[in-house]
Amino acid sequence: MCRKSGFKKWGLLCLAGITAFSISACGGTDGSDNKLIVVEDKKDREVSLFSPMEKTEANVENVARSAADKTIMLAEEKLGVSVGYVTYTAEDYQDKTYDEVTLDRARNDMDDIYLLNPDTLRALGEEGKLQDLSGLDCTKNLRDVVKAANMVDGKLVAIPQEVVAYGLFINKDMFDKYQLTLPETPEDFLECCRVFKENGVETPVGANRWWLETFVLAQAYADLYNGGNTEAEIAALNTGESKYSEYMRSGFEFLQELIDKGYVDAEKALVSEAIEGEGADFLAQKTPIVMAYWGAANTETAYGKTDFEMQVIGFPSSRGQMPVMPMTGFGVGTNVAHGEDALAVLDIMLSDEALQIYAETNRVISPSKNVEVECVDPLKPLNDRIQENVYVLGSNAGMDVEQWGNTCLIVRELLGGATVDECMAMFDRLQEEALQKNK
Amino acid sequence: MSKKRNESKRDKGISLLVSIVLVFFVLGIIVFSVSHKIMAEMAASATQNLNESLDLIKCTIEAILNKEAEYQRLMAQGIAAMESPEEYVLNYKKSETMVKLGLIRSGETAGVCSTGEAFTEEEMDFSAGGMIDGLPVSQSYLNYMGTWAYCIKCPVIRDGQEIATLYVEYIYDTFDKSLPEGFYNQQAMLYIMDAETERFVLKPKGMGERSAGHLNLTDFYRANDIQEEGLREEVEDCLKHNKNIMFYHDIRNKDALNYMWSVNGGTIYLIGYVPIEAIQQEGRTVNQNIFIVVFVMLTAFILCCILYYLNQRQKIRLRREREEEREISNRRLAEALQAAQIASNSKTMFLSNMSHDIRTPMNAVLGFTTLLARDAENSEKVRKYTKKIMASGQHLLSLINDILDVSKIESGKVVLNVEEFTLNDLVSSVDAIIRPMAEARSQKFSVEVTGIKHEFLLGDETRINQILINLLSNAVKYTPEGGSIWFRIIGLKQRSNQFEHIRIEVQDNGYGMTKAYLETIFDAFTRAENSTTNKVQGTGLGMAITKNIIELMGGTIDVFSEVDQGSLFRVELEFRIPEGQADRQFWAQMGISRMLVMDTDEETCGNIKTLMGDVGVEADLAHNMEEALSLLEKSADSYQVALLGGSIVETGAAQAVNQIRERIGETVPVLVLSDHGKAGDVDLDQTENAGVLIKPFFASAFKEKILEMRAEPESGGEFAAEPGQTLAGLHFLAAEDNEINAEILREILAYENAGCEIVENGQLAVERFERAKEDEFDAILMDVQMPVMNGYDATRAIRALEREDARTIPIIAMTANAFAEDEKEALDAGMDVHLAKPIDIELLKQVIRQYTKHTDE
Repeated sequence: MCRKSGFKKWGLLCLAGITAFSISACGGTDGSDNKLIVVEDKKDREVSLFSPMEKTEANVENVARSAADKTIMLAEEKLGVSVGYVTYTAEDYQDKTYDEVTLDRARNDMDDIYLLNPDTLRALGEEGKLQDLSGLDCTKNLRDVVKAANMVDGKLVAIPQEVVAYGLFINKDMFDKYQLTLPETPEDFLECCRVFKENGVETPVGANRWWLETFVLAQAYADLYNGGNTEAEIAALNTGESKYSEYMRSGFEFLQELIDKGYVDAEKALVSEAIEGEGADFLAQKTPIVMAYWGAANTETAYGKTDFEMQVIGFPSSRGQMPVMPMTGFGVGTNVAHGEDALAVLDIMLSDEALQIYAETNRVISPSKNVEVECVDPLKPLNDRIQENVYVLGSNAGMDVEQWGNTCLIVRELLGGATVDECMAMFDRLQEEALQKNK
Repeated sequence: MSKKRNESKRDKGISLLVSIVLVFFVLGIIVFSVSHKIMAEMAASATQNLNESLDLIKCTIEAILNKEAEYQRLMAQGIAAMESPEEYVLNYKKSETMVKLGLIRSGETAGVCSTGEAFTEEEMDFSAGGMIDGLPVSQSYLNYMGTWAYCIKCPVIRDGQEIATLYVEYIYDTFDKSLPEGFYNQQAMLYIMDAETERFVLKPKGMGERSAGHLNLTDFYRANDIQEEGLREEVEDCLKHNKNIMFYHDIRNKDALNYMWSVNGGTIYLIGYVPIEAIQQEGRTVNQNIFIVVFVMLTAFILCCILYYLNQRQKIRLRREREEEREISNRRLAEALQAAQIASNSKTMFLSNMSHDIRTPMNAVLGFTTLLARDAENSEKVRKYTKKIMASGQHLLSLINDILDVSKIESGKVVLNVEEFTLNDLVSSVDAIIRPMAEARSQKFSVEVTGIKHEFLLGDETRINQILINLLSNAVKYTPEGGSIWFRIIGLKQRSNQFEHIRIEVQDNGYGMTKAYLETIFDAFTRAENSTTNKVQGTGLGMAITKNIIELMGGTIDVFSEVDQGSLFRVELEFRIPEGQADRQFWAQMGISRMLVMDTDEETCGNIKTLMGDVGVEADLAHNMEEALSLLEKSADSYQVALLGGSIVETGAAQAVNQIRERIGETVPVLVLSDHGKAGDVDLDQTENAGVLIKPFFASAFKEKILEMRAEPESGGEFAAEPGQTLAGLHFLAAEDNEINAEILREILAYENAGCEIVENGQLAVERFERAKEDEFDAILMDVQMPVMNGYDATRAIRALEREDARTIPIIAMTANAFAEDEKEALDAGMDVHLAKPIDIELLKQVIRQYTKHTDE
């Protein structure tokens, strides 16, 4: 009896389902009576954003890009604007660099928002090509170190979505294989390289033309930023009482020693793009050490998925492992076509809500003091140091001589064959120019 | 047959299923073909649409380029007319399209530039030979604005002579405004590629996924995993020869159509891809709709099939149920027929047996009657013959009683008459009947009662008596002379406090029964052993009656027997225990609350203690004389009665009683418990207040004995016959329609010197009594079944007469209607007593004397 009523129930349900399905299938907009079709012209508010384009791998999700996309979509949704992407990446070392192109584009008011590296943001800030962002709501939540690093001539010219920290990416398995402890000081590092070299590792340190300055900066400014007298020492540099070259020398000499002993392939590094040049050997476990930024540990397009145990530590210095944190950020051009919309978009992109999304997606240190996200395991050693407030700033708008870009260029000179003394002379010249300019 | 039918059904079902599957298969192929054809046509149409769209974009870009070249010519003409072309160039402010001007005088390598710097051609590469509307165009390069640009150079001709070359830099960003925003709902990707450098110089807005960006063709191949060497070579070849190409290749795990479209004679290319699902959306929609229709139709068809199937199944079920019902009905009919045949056979056999059994005593009656007639003068022979006639008559009577009992039980007319009774009375009455029978055959008859907690019970004593008599008389009959019969009543564990659970065992060491006979021993109309071969007379209905009565009482009966070993009948019954125990009051009134019991048998002691405890008398037990005397020495005064049993009967009861008497008061009764056969050996004549109590022990028997010892025994029972009693001088009115019976009655009464006037029916009896003088008749003997007016109506009529003696004259029913209901009906009609025919003359005499005496009083 019960089964019978069950059959009937199911039968009725099926009939009802088929009827509903058929009716819905037959439905649709019937435009047969409407002979006139009016198409409205789309007048979207549009903001253009210039940023580098990471070379994507086949069928691989670019997490870093996805994180930024999410915050942009949030802004588009909230403001009703559309953000158009304009991208550039150098094909090879002979091409114009991203920074050069950024400068060209910003100087010609090509875009509304730019993603700027430390040297370009400083240069454009000084030229007055970037708007002051300190009026944005999102700045209230920024960490002080972020604000300080992006202030040029008293103006907050850029705000990042993540605090970029550079460190050494270590193949822990290879270190364990040769019973090596992770290096704390330059001496430790040289010893590790020696052991690797003796055991047949051709180039223990993989490098490219962009990020070797992190080695130099870590050793140069480990004491300056962690000695408790930072402001006075920077003031002395700005007045010329002390010299940048004095700080930089040890780092350059250390780098020279690495090159001389064959631990770094200078020629290859000079023509290699970031990750492209050294990444393949690192992933193939031919090179046990490379340097890269925090986010590279999260993205599969970089080192997010390795076949070995990877750890990210600070650069060797007299004060132990030292993270290097250059500040990048989004800036808005001064004479752009959609300035107000650009500022509004940026305000949303850098709000706590957006930064939370960004940090959770990309697992990075957020510039907002209100956003905390636990990092992935390999990054913990580096994160521990940052949490202890032990780090070196890769760029500092408070220094009259721009550090990040200039040091990068001078390191290239060293890679190209210049001596340490010649490199130091370049710093002296830059310092002299800055002093002259200030006068 | 049924199997064949099932196979045939199954074959048909399979054929139907195959046909349906075939139809679906064909339908599926048709739908699939149609769908496939639609998809193919739609795909071709979609490809054509894409082709046209790309052509449109191509034409748009070429139009822009041509216009730029045309405008540049005009500008060159204008500059040619100027006095100082350099000044024009230097003062030129960049526009959105033409972002930079350069001019180099003929014959010089450097010139002026609108940005104020020196201008040389070295920055640009015209080596590829690309032309726009006849003007050379450079390869693409990243210009001073950080964007991709190209340069067109145009000669400045004055008076037919080329005086300089005008270089104009254009940026690709300009195209963006002229191209559609989005392509295939922003799912298609489109880049503009410089053919020579293979650099991607522009990604128009809204083209493809915005997270995807490519530097150049190599990067495009890598990012989209286009790694097939053959394919890449073919593509390269097409690019070299300025061909437009399309090829299918997965992009990010999706089927996609890739395209490379030559623009401006191959100087630039449109590169990109569109997912197949985007261009075939219409085809997919059409197919989806086809599938929806097919699905709906299919579902409807399946539903119809299910409904049809359910309907068919229900029909089959109903048919099967009907068939099953028919089969059951047929089977029942067959069984009934068989039962009827068996019953008929049984009854035929039974009637045959009965005929034999009735004819046998009848033969004796008639035979001896013949002999009686012949030897009437010989008084000794007459007495001998009449005695045998009497015995045969009695046998015939018991035969008829049994037949009536069986008939009544089987028709469900038996109603149990539940009343209070005592086991003592039951055992005594049975003992009184069976023991003489057993003694007559020199058999040992033992009665044992153990474990009984209550002897006052509720039940139909008559029927229980009937059961016991049946079982025990059988035991006597089927046990040879000198054998033993045991009659046991055993109290079992009570299932409920309200019921006494009793097992009755009747065992003998007689002939026993065969297994075959045991199987049918309780069948009513079946006799395992033909009575012609049975030396023992009997109806063969006793066991059937017994079993039926036991079942009527909710009990069980089992039988165990072996040939020549004997038989055991075991009956289990439960009797309700009456709520009030009147005997407690008796013992209290008699002042007996404690008694001394001495018996060597522990079980007997236990039984006595239990039964006396039930009536409120505590029993102290001793298992020998020493213990008994010891107990008496301790507290002789506390015992109001003493009971001695066991071996003292053999060793000298009188001595033992005396020993007890010495320690106990003279007035305290001392009783000796003795087996039936040994009671006579106990000599207590010289002992005051002493007596013998026959086993088995019952509190009620004990009570009677105490009463007997304390007082003079009462005069006999209601119907105690007075020796020498006669009916002489009495005068009766008898209503009897049967002449023979009337004759017998008349003769019997005449023999007793009593007068009798016989009428033929009830009506005549009423009329005769109405006419009679007062005290003319001492009693009326009334038959029941009579013509005109029956006995009941006649009695009622007599009682209704307005005569003083109408209500007092004894009316005695004398009828062949011998059941209890008949008796009740007779009494209800106003009769005083009911006597069943055939008339037992002694009983009749007792009854008449009783009632005539009452009326005399």
